[in-house]
Amino acid sequence: MAGLVLKDVRKTYGEVTALKNIDLVFPSGKLTALLGPSGCGKTTLLRIIAGLETPTRGNLSLNGEDITTLPANRRKFGMVFQSFALFPHLSVGENVAYSLTISGVEKKTRSKRAQELLDLVQMADFQDRRIGQLSGGQRQRVAIARALAQEPQVFLLDEPMSALDAQLRETMQVELRLLQQQLNITTIVVTHDQREAMTMADEIVVMSNGVSEQIGSPTDIYQRPETPFVASFIGKANFLDGTVRGGRVFVGDSAFDLEKPAPFVDGSPVQLVCRPENAELCAADTNASNILTGPVSFVRDVGPTREVFVETDAGRIICEMPSSDATPVTQGEVTGIRLKSHTLFCFPRPDPGNLEKTVEEAGRRENVAA
Amino acid sequence: MSDLAAASSLVHARDGTRLKGQEGPRADAVQSIGARPIIMTVIAAFLVFVFLAPILLVIAVSFGEKIEGASWVWAFDPSNYARVFVGIGWPDQITLLYAYKLGYTLAYAVLGSLIAIAFAFPFTYFLSQCSRPAQAAWLVFILASLSMSEVFIVMGWDIMLSNRSGLPALFKATGVTAWLKDTGWLAVLKDWGLANPRNVKFKTSQLATVLTMAYLVWPYAVILLYAPLSRIDRSMIEAARTMGAGSFTVMRTVVVPVVRIPVMGTLLLLFVYLLGAYVTVTYFAEPAHQTLPVSIYEAIRGATLNAPFGAAQAVVLLSTAGVFILASLWLGRLAENRGR
Repeated sequence: MAGLVLKDVRKTYGEVTALKNIDLVFPSGKLTALLGPSGCGKTTLLRIIAGLETPTRGNLSLNGEDITTLPANRRKFGMVFQSFALFPHLSVGENVAYSLTISGVEKKTRSKRAQELLDLVQMADFQDRRIGQLSGGQRQRVAIARALAQEPQVFLLDEPMSALDAQLRETMQVELRLLQQQLNITTIVVTHDQREAMTMADEIVVMSNGVSEQIGSPTDIYQRPETPFVASFIGKANFLDGTVRGGRVFVGDSAFDLEKPAPFVDGSPVQLVCRPENAELCAADTNASNILTGPVSFVRDVGPTREVFVETDAGRIICEMPSSDATPVTQGEVTGIRLKSHTLFCFPRPDPGNLEKTVEEAGRRENVAA
Repeated sequence: MSDLAAASSLVHARDGTRLKGQEGPRADAVQSIGARPIIMTVIAAFLVFVFLAPILLVIAVSFGEKIEGASWVWAFDPSNYARVFVGIGWPDQITLLYAYKLGYTLAYAVLGSLIAIAFAFPFTYFLSQCSRPAQAAWLVFILASLSMSEVFIVMGWDIMLSNRSGLPALFKATGVTAWLKDTGWLAVLKDWGLANPRNVKFKTSQLATVLTMAYLVWPYAVILLYAPLSRIDRSMIEAARTMGAGSFTVMRTVVVPVVRIPVMGTLLLLFVYLLGAYVTVTYFAEPAHQTLPVSIYEAIRGATLNAPFGAAQAVVLLSTAGVFILASLWLGRLAENRGR
């Protein structure tokens, strides 16, 4: 169960810091997604794991053995590249058997193994084809089969779906997940597509600016984001600026109760976050708590759901509901929006001066002063 | 009508511009249509003429007849070609002097281009992995080295390899010659034609000829290989590494096969260029090991003044280059088809 462990991994390129003190554990047999926007350091981290880059600081170990300085060709982690990196001068079968060929496996054995792997990725009849004769999806399957040929302990995929069209991407996400479960191989996927990460991963590492913002299961990450970045990057969210008073959050004159009292000292500027599906339309009542009012500015049906845009004094709130039981509303109509208390998250407002004003830190300061 | 011509006519129409004697935009468009093909045709005809005329003239002259003690006359005499392959005494006697010269020409060109590629390929591969400023600096240096003429390079190499002031003198001064004598290597080098009883000797030698030729075309090889090598998808190299390939295996199994067609093209270009090398051969090759271009020059401008025979040798050289190019293309296609 030790799996792959990264301790205090840091990577700098001159003045630029790509990764800052990454501590991660990739459990054996699980699929972990490194999720984040472009430039967040996720590919750098994957390349460090593959041995294609060396960390500036920190170490990596696999099942207890230090592999920090082990070169890529001795690490032998199977890797699927964003461009698939198939060899155009070799046939499909030769591509798949490449690792076996260079390690001196006899032709009959490697041909048999290549055929088995091509069967696994449903490309059994393509062994003699040239790479140029394959579609994007077929190339991806060949790249997966090739990476698996050497029976790697860790399977790495760098944005494997980015070269595929939307429909094929959906299909391949499911297929890849099923294949990973079938082989029970420790797998790390880099992606910037949150839907892809949530479809495939046992665990998601959300990254931003070279740090891991949150680690957890797809449900945890979605339902309990720990930072405003995670809340905004995973799924959709409404953000409201407010101030804490007596454990409640005030957005203008409207008071909002949370599941637990907000853990900030009175007067702290905070951001209140609510998923659109957790906002519900109600009668306009300015005196009730957890309710904002305003006119409906836009309504749209997006297949199974309907989105209602309401312009409140605190800003625009998007409310999402199933189309089947959507309350009829018309553009311009004034309505109330209830934000359910148990679905609200509260974060310090991202202003450097306000970030330390948590109750805990305020208490510590008081102790120091005393 | 081209888009440009159409746009031009529209602009004129909007401006209300009219040239004297013309009828507005339509006249402009007609003028645009006529000028371009005429210019193209004139330039193309000129290029075809300057390409074909010298070749056809040389072929025509190669069948001419040499008048002893005088110039030559137009004729249809194939004996010049027979002389190239079997000598002037044929059919009574066969002399392979010019056939050997052709052989040396081909051997030097093949070896020179192979050596140039052998050095240029790894250099260019590593150059393409350097930082952009380093690549730019090296490419400027290599382009600058192209400005040196063959005469200048050969003169430099002549001094570098000369017995009195070049490498042999350095070998002697640093004790390398004494060490070679003691270990018996000087005798071996002497057998190879690279030493005399006292010291190493690079002039005249086939090694010096081939090395100078290789150096002559080395910058061309780098420039021709730079584009394909820098365009290689680096993730293919990384993919090979993650599958267990070391640096040499990556080079052998991925890099070289991926750029084999540009490498073959470069090789052919260098080969054809070196077929015509003249100054290098006259400086570094012994008279018995000289090439067809030297013989061609001597026939046309040298003591014999036998333009038809010089032309026949030139046609044979050109045809040989053509045969090599066609054979390479055929072999390349064969290899591609086998791969499929």
